[in-house]
Amino acid sequence: MKRIMVGVALVAGLLAGTVHPAPAYEAIEVTNGGSLTGTVKYAGTPPAPEKFAVTKDTQACGTEKTKPDLVVGSDGGLANVVVIVKAMKGKKLEVPATPVSFDQKGCEYSPHVLAVPAGTTIEVLNPDGVLHNVHVMGKVNPEANRAMPKFQKKIQWKVEKPEMPIAVKCDAHPWMHAYWFVMDQPYYAVTDAAGKFTIADIPPGDYEVDVWHEQLGQKTEKVTIPAGGAATVAWSLGKS
Amino acid sequence: MARRDSVIDEEKRSYGALWLVLSLLLFVAGLWAIADDYIFRRPWKYYQERFSQMEIAKVKEAIAAEQARLDQDPEYQKAVKALEEATAQVQSGETGEQIAQLEKQLERARLEDVEKDLNLRFVKSELEELRFLYDDAMHHGREDEAQEVLEKIRAKEQLQVERQAIYSESQERIAKLEAEIKAKQAAVKAAQDALAKLTATRDDLQQKLETISLGRYPAPSASPPFIKVDWVPKIPKIQQVVLEEYDRNSYQQPVARVDRCMSCHTGIDKKGFEDAPQPYRTHPKREQILGPHPVDKIGCTPCHNGDGPNVNSARGAHANYYDEHGQLHEVHLREELALFRGPMMQANCLKCHPTAVGLEGGEIAARGETLFIELGCHGCHLAEGYETLAKQNDVSIIGPSLRRIGAKVEPGWLVRWIRNPHQFRPRTRMPNFMFDETQATQIAAFLLAATKDSSAAWVSEHPAPDVPRDPQTVAAGKALVDSIGCRACHALAPDEVAGQIGANKDIAPNLSAVAEKTDARWLYHWVKNPRGFSDIARMPSLRLTDDEARAVTAYLLTLGAPQPAPPPLLTKLRDPGAVAAGEKLVRKYGCAGCHDIPGMELESRIGAELSTYGNKTKEELFFGDRIDLHEDWATFTFHKLKEPRGYATKWIEQVMPQFNLADEDIEALMVFLRGRTEAKIKEDYRYSHSFSEAVVRGQRLVARYNCTGCHIIEGRGGDIRRLYEKNPSEAPPNLLGEGQKVQAPWLYAFLQAPTTIRPWLSVRMPTFGLSDEETVTLVHYFQGLDGVTSPFTYIEVSDYVGANVEAGRMLASADYLSCFSCHVRGNTFPEGEKDSWAPDLAMAAKRLRPAWIVDWLHDPQKLLPGTKMPSFYADPDNPDGPPDILGGDDDAQIRALRDYVISIGLAQAGQLPTQMTRVQNDQAAVQ
Repeated sequence: MKRIMVGVALVAGLLAGTVHPAPAYEAIEVTNGGSLTGTVKYAGTPPAPEKFAVTKDTQACGTEKTKPDLVVGSDGGLANVVVIVKAMKGKKLEVPATPVSFDQKGCEYSPHVLAVPAGTTIEVLNPDGVLHNVHVMGKVNPEANRAMPKFQKKIQWKVEKPEMPIAVKCDAHPWMHAYWFVMDQPYYAVTDAAGKFTIADIPPGDYEVDVWHEQLGQKTEKVTIPAGGAATVAWSLGKS
Repeated sequence: MARRDSVIDEEKRSYGALWLVLSLLLFVAGLWAIADDYIFRRPWKYYQERFSQMEIAKVKEAIAAEQARLDQDPEYQKAVKALEEATAQVQSGETGEQIAQLEKQLERARLEDVEKDLNLRFVKSELEELRFLYDDAMHHGREDEAQEVLEKIRAKEQLQVERQAIYSESQERIAKLEAEIKAKQAAVKAAQDALAKLTATRDDLQQKLETISLGRYPAPSASPPFIKVDWVPKIPKIQQVVLEEYDRNSYQQPVARVDRCMSCHTGIDKKGFEDAPQPYRTHPKREQILGPHPVDKIGCTPCHNGDGPNVNSARGAHANYYDEHGQLHEVHLREELALFRGPMMQANCLKCHPTAVGLEGGEIAARGETLFIELGCHGCHLAEGYETLAKQNDVSIIGPSLRRIGAKVEPGWLVRWIRNPHQFRPRTRMPNFMFDETQATQIAAFLLAATKDSSAAWVSEHPAPDVPRDPQTVAAGKALVDSIGCRACHALAPDEVAGQIGANKDIAPNLSAVAEKTDARWLYHWVKNPRGFSDIARMPSLRLTDDEARAVTAYLLTLGAPQPAPPPLLTKLRDPGAVAAGEKLVRKYGCAGCHDIPGMELESRIGAELSTYGNKTKEELFFGDRIDLHEDWATFTFHKLKEPRGYATKWIEQVMPQFNLADEDIEALMVFLRGRTEAKIKEDYRYSHSFSEAVVRGQRLVARYNCTGCHIIEGRGGDIRRLYEKNPSEAPPNLLGEGQKVQAPWLYAFLQAPTTIRPWLSVRMPTFGLSDEETVTLVHYFQGLDGVTSPFTYIEVSDYVGANVEAGRMLASADYLSCFSCHVRGNTFPEGEKDSWAPDLAMAAKRLRPAWIVDWLHDPQKLLPGTKMPSFYADPDNPDGPPDILGGDDDAQIRALRDYVISIGLAQAGQLPTQMTRVQNDQAAVQ
């Protein structure tokens, strides 16, 4: 009897472990789409920006930096928040024809959070004239770590598979880190310095929206997109 | 008269009815015999035919699918059309006529050619005849006649030349005509080729269809309308594999094993039947298992068991079966052949492999093997292959040495521990002997008495330290314990889990209540130098300074609180009667199997030998009063491990202690134990590799000293990484490819006396106090894992001077690859914080194998995924290096870097030739 139970447990385990492929995003013609626009703010009193001393490659990097992982604007707007409308169908995901820039100027990644469609070529720039290395710690995409010595001003990187997020860091300058979001659908945005974002051409309807910040975690919001109109939201994220 | 009448009566009697009945019986019996022979006892025929049909259907389906795809493919349609057009062209119109003309000419030319060929041959034959006549005349001295013949020969030769010319001309004409026709048909041929390229997949499938069947039958033309024309399955036949000398008979003579499993399991080694019902299904781990164990050489039963030659029924062949309730039954008298179902078949891995550890697909057997070794089962039970692991220099090394136990533990704690170790540490390896209070006190009394002098001597040599108990010191101690690597092995909270064996056994003691067990003196001296207390300590030295050791001790003393033994207990512990009773108990329960106890060095193992335990039949197993259990090996063993004394009866005592094993660990141990059999497999069938032994010995050392607490080795371990999830580069290194990477002498020296390689790590490589033999074993182990055959690396010093090294120096500079942005170089340190640093390149000459440096520079991520070292030369298609050094040749640059990196260490060691000879060498190279 025990053996049957073990067998049943095994089979159940197998079934549970079977990966049902997530239904793929379907591209359709969007007519009379609505938009989602709004602000993400820091909930509560934002902490003062944290500064730290730089002791390596100071001629290129400077001697002091502000931590990039929590940037709050003057009115509480939270930068570098990724907003993803979890749409299953909608406009076609357009892969940019020209490479998207990812700069390391002054030993800081810019943008700190980069969201691009899968298949995009990212052009990593090194105007600093020091050795950087771009360590892309993909789990779905292959992990890679490429050196960018002084003479290598740019390298190109194609991100093939959707993955949200991929951590990127520089082992030579341990304070340098960034996140890449490789998207499988077009309805996403990264908030600007004031915490603002806009996502357009969304087929009308009810949606769940993922709101992600590297320090404050992820939250799911609900939103209704009106036909031909705009839904305006004001969300906040805080330390839980 | 009467007698005669009776004879006549007898003759007149008719036996017709009897005859009829008997012949009918005979007829029916004949039919039955035939049916039995061909149908009932040949289930495999049905299976094979059925499989053949499935396979044919599958290929047909694939062909249809491919054809459907082709039909959709505009390329294909174009090609078909092109072919049609080309064919039409040559069959009609002007070209068609021309071809017809040419073909007619060709036909005539071929007819004529036959005649011309014949004519030539006749001449040749006649010539042969004349030559014979000439020779004959000469041999018999008929010179005139010979002369005459010679003239004829000359004439014939002339004729031959003429006819040869006619024939050659004819051949040329034919060739020319053929070429002309071919040229006219070239378009068709080209169209056919183009089409064939597109239909290659379909045509291959078509061909496959012919090889897997008897062919299409009946031929379409011959078929009466009511017979369906189809591909006919092959005629079933026994599929067998003969393993010469695999088994041994009762006289220990090698005999062959015959496996006919594939007579029914036809699809076992064929792709594409993964979802087919049994017995047709493809092996679920076809590539992984059948790859290294080809079915045509190894067969099936060596792994699965079963009655190989038996093809009469599934039940007979498998020698067991599930009844309608799902209960597994063995076939009477064939128990030893019973098919292994589920993980149990991994037991057979151990018949040919020296260990299951590291075997893909043998994970459960490996888990069982590791549990068997690490729980110390072999301390009480003799098991072939594991006899020597329990002792080192005649000292039991499974559990801690009890030689100075009096100096280590608080007596009250000792009694509580002996009573039930799981109460103090639920996850400890030490099993529970279920002693009562009196027995535990007696054993403690004996242990304290037996070790009184040695304990006292140690105490007098090791003064109690002055351990400050202030919060700063405690915090400093905690910081050390958190950072230097203690937590790779030890957990500090009751529910924390560090490294473990199986599901619920800690590798090292949980320290959450260590202050209840011992005191400051022992802790201080132990953490400073474990081998100073016990020669067989597994715990290594972390090279703590006195202050560090004091801080660590101060912190550990905050974990738990002492519970001193009450005076009456102390009195009992000194009672000579208790000591004597304790000694008896210690002998009876075989404590010396695992622990080093003074005076008990020669005690023998108290448990039953397990070398052939896997062969035991149910009659040999004692079920005691357990009439509730189904009597078979698996049930017995499971319950024995679950409740070790469960088979004790009123009259028969059992002494095996309770290990509190998780069910999954019991299952793993069962798999391991099932593999303990008498089978002696012939050498040819066993897994053997020149490194096998070194690897097995190394794996056992790695387990003993828990190297995998910190390091990932063979893809396993790295328990401490739980503390470094956010910053994995601060964790101890992954040792993937260590044998390829480092020079053996360096590894030897490093293991004996570790030095700092990665200045940014706060975790320390401990000093294990390994013996020479152990160190060599580990070096061989790492080399064996990577297939490194030579322990030597020769570095020709004069190779590391000159233009190449200079090019490397240039490449490494800040203007190019800027290696010293991160790498330490001797006493020159990089800028920035230590967390951005990388190993000292001055070590490379002694530490790294030059060939490895080249591989590493090509793509560090490939050798060690996740490493901080970036790839400078990762793009295989384009040059990545600077174009102005060594002509931008990546490989040349990598060699230059290698030479330069090695030269740094050589120069530092003063081994490089002086500047003078360097210039001379350069000139010599130029000349």
